Amino acid sequence: MTSRGTPSRFLKSVLQNGVGRYICQLKRVSIIFSKNAQSSLGVRDFIEEGVVDYAKKNPGTVVYVSPQGSRIPKIVAEYLNGSVREEIVTSKTAPQISELLTKLTNQSGLDIIRIRKPFHTDTPSIQGQWHPFTNRPPSIGPIRPEKTDAH
Amino acid sequence: MALSRACARLWRTCISSFSSHPALVPAAVRLQSSSSGTPAPAAVLVPRTSLSQPPWADAPASVPVERDSAAVVTAVNNLISGQDFGRLFAVVHFAGRQWKVTDEDLILVENHIPAECGDRIRLEKVLLVGAQDFTLVGRPLLTKDLVWVEATVVEKTESRPKVHMRFIRRKRYQRKRIIVQPQTVLRINSVRLAPALT
Repeated sequence: MTSRGTPSRFLKSVLQNGVGRYICQLKRVSIIFSKNAQSSLGVRDFIEEGVVDYAKKNPGTVVYVSPQGSRIPKIVAEYLNGSVREEIVTSKTAPQISELLTKLTNQSGLDIIRIRKPFHTDTPSIQGQWHPFTNRPPSIGPIRPEKTDAH
Repeated sequence: MALSRACARLWRTCISSFSSHPALVPAAVRLQSSSSGTPAPAAVLVPRTSLSQPPWADAPASVPVERDSAAVVTAVNNLISGQDFGRLFAVVHFAGRQWKVTDEDLILVENHIPAECGDRIRLEKVLLVGAQDFTLVGRPLLTKDLVWVEATVVEKTESRPKVHMRFIRRKRYQRKRIIVQPQTVLRINSVRLAPALT
């Protein structure tokens, strides 16, 4: 849809992340898969080899692995601001799943909608905001262009 | 064509000090660059016609020089060495754009940066630094030992899915493509000035 028909937000970060320490915004990752279905093959491979390294690399994120029978394999990511994101990983390979997990780790939980401005400041003006009387000497009478006496 | 080029050369006037002969107008010739081999010929006197001089008035001979430039520099030096300024802002060239940047503000860059989330980055191309009372303008950049702008990578996401559709009416042609671009969010941590200014 167009940007007018879809919601939009301003650029922000969750609780001024980055001003002090950077904190990974991913709180919890739940990997739901099936033990026997073919669609969960990639997930099972990833759990065999990659999930422990991922959990060690991101100590601030809790990883839950829950095998449930006859379920579509999916990854549920919960963020510190409370938003939940579900990604369906049917028939994905293990490297694709690890890539998806790094992408989810690098995101904050803010909505992926149109961002109105690519910048955000709390102090937009330091030298004072310009208004038409800035740098203008006071004068009485009409203002005329200066006559330069050159030749 | 050769005539117009000759006229353009004639119109380039130098600082006019020959006003002795009113009928003849001095005309400076274009200065040759050092790479070309031919030496620059001397100034040529041409008869004053309607086309011998450009119709616009000449620029004033002497540019007004700042009389208090040394005083300004010492005043700014004292302010900087005493760290007597508040918040600093900087104009920084990054990712093909220029941003006006202060401490603690956010920047969204529409591409992938080879740095992980949480890494601290130094932004090196600084064009201008300003405080409440003074501004330092670079030509075009300020030196790296003068300004120090540091940022942290806060988030690396993808943009919202944008639809790129091509349609030509009555020709049965349409293509639809969904474009998702990588985005990086930087938080500017600090803008600092070195204590000495040359």
